[in-house]
Amino acid sequence: MNKSVLSILLPVAVLLVVYFLWDGAVLLSNTDIFPRPYQVFLGIGELIQRGVLLKYVVASLFRVSIGFTLAVLIGVPFGLLLGWFRPAFLAFNPLIQILRPISPIAWIPIAILWFHVDDRAPIFLIFLSSLFPITVTSIAAVQNIQPVYVRAAQNFGLTRLDLFRRVIFPACLPQIITSLRISLGIAWLVVVAAEMIAVNSGLGYLIIDARNAGKRYDLVVAGMLMIGLIGLILDLLIRRLERFEEVKWGYFGGR
Amino acid sequence: MSSAKGVGLAVVLWLVVISFLHATLNLGVFAPHKSTAEAAFRVGFLPVTCHLTCPVTDFINKQLSGESGFEPIRFQAWPELKEAFISGYLPATFILAPLAMRMREDGVPIKIVYLGHRDGTAMVVHKDSQIFHIEDLRGKTIAVPNRFSNQKLLVVKALKDHGVQPDEVKILEMAPPDMPAALFSKAVDAITSGEPYMGQAELDGYGRVLYQTKDVWPNFISCVLAVREDVIRNHRETVQKLVDGIAKSGKWLDQTMDHRMEAADFVSQYYYNQNPRLLRFVLSKPPDRVKYTNLALRKNDFLEIEALAKETGVLKGKVTFEDYADPSFVPPNNSLQPYAWEYQK
Repeated sequence: MNKSVLSILLPVAVLLVVYFLWDGAVLLSNTDIFPRPYQVFLGIGELIQRGVLLKYVVASLFRVSIGFTLAVLIGVPFGLLLGWFRPAFLAFNPLIQILRPISPIAWIPIAILWFHVDDRAPIFLIFLSSLFPITVTSIAAVQNIQPVYVRAAQNFGLTRLDLFRRVIFPACLPQIITSLRISLGIAWLVVVAAEMIAVNSGLGYLIIDARNAGKRYDLVVAGMLMIGLIGLILDLLIRRLERFEEVKWGYFGGR
Repeated sequence: MSSAKGVGLAVVLWLVVISFLHATLNLGVFAPHKSTAEAAFRVGFLPVTCHLTCPVTDFINKQLSGESGFEPIRFQAWPELKEAFISGYLPATFILAPLAMRMREDGVPIKIVYLGHRDGTAMVVHKDSQIFHIEDLRGKTIAVPNRFSNQKLLVVKALKDHGVQPDEVKILEMAPPDMPAALFSKAVDAITSGEPYMGQAELDGYGRVLYQTKDVWPNFISCVLAVREDVIRNHRETVQKLVDGIAKSGKWLDQTMDHRMEAADFVSQYYYNQNPRLLRFVLSKPPDRVKYTNLALRKNDFLEIEALAKETGVLKGKVTFEDYADPSFVPPNNSLQPYAWEYQK
């Protein structure tokens, strides 16, 4: 069997096994609470029929897109700056290291007090969740540049701006893109928690709402499934960035 | 760097498209009519029967005059609702009575202006359990909605009335929507919160009612209507309109069983997103499970709550009825008639 057939057959086989294990476990335990897989698919059907699934997916994607973009726009330049100017790094690094380990969920009360309960609060939480991984990787990327690149460039008489634009930034790009991929994953992870605030749309809200609605665990699992599938699609999309010529060298032993 | 330009363009395009979709589908920014005459007066609520008068007032107002004057904002849990009130986002909210009193103690400018309901809480145990009397709760685990909930004080009162010391049971906090599943899986021995979550455990066949509020603490108050002090100063008429609306919709709800069943239908559909069967059940079986009349603020009711709250450490006892309540909005007895309105499906 050739590789491409295997790469489809194997995952499908695993998914089928999981499907039947799940179904069997629900049947065997005779539980009244946990849904069977087909009930989850019916639940997804119901959400589509009610016209809320598209709305909720759009709401979650909107918040993640805005929060994540803000984090990139601020985190990358800030990280590069700190990586390049040692005094700035010394000044800001302790603060970053203190803020970094705080879970975005811990920020929920603050987010409500500052931004009330409209879209800004979840966007803020998603922004925070992505900002620190991006900043820290950007710092490390500059600090880890091989000194020979910089010296060679200086021997060619590059100005500071050119040095930054033509040597440092391209050299850091592969690591930055990897960090974007990881932090987009985190941002999508956080969207559920962020939407537990009283916003009235989004996949996270769908899960909370289904809990409020009584025995609708089929919709809870439907929400989980949608989050997983969209997370997969997002990851596939951002991985395309790694294929560009400008960054390919970073992955295939170009140094 | 043509690929960089391509990526940049794609990102910008994506942001524009997703923002446009979100604005259209969820925010209704491009919807044709949007009354911007006056900023909406937000009222916070949770999807529980203790807060039923909030959506009912909104719905009937809209049906009668096309405009509610209020914007009910649904929350999922107490902490978020409390924070939204403290931050000033909500000028008014339905809230647990002891929580409102405690917030006053902590310096939040909150005033209780009216009740939301009376009764409407049960304690439910698993149908297979050996708990048949309140005394049988010794050594068991009981889930309550919040440490500042009157449900917790109710548990303490019930236990003490039956000679059980509160430290002989384990009381833990749990979000009410999670309670039926916790009881089903026997993670806890007993659950108590506002409806419809208790009714759900009963309706689904694994819960058995140990007590209703009327058995332990008749005319029990779980939630009250509270507003910010600056709102009382600056928007007296709006607060009065809200209190009158709640009084009228409460009377409407208690007028006939048909009204209650109609409310169960439109509130399930438009506000709570719950199964109408569930609300129909808790609003009718038995009919005095929860009541929406007799909602005036009575000092003695609150003194009773205060005493229990001080005993259990929920309140420090720094504030009095005059600090946390403002009964001046309570309509004079029988001066208001129920809403004259019938539901047309």
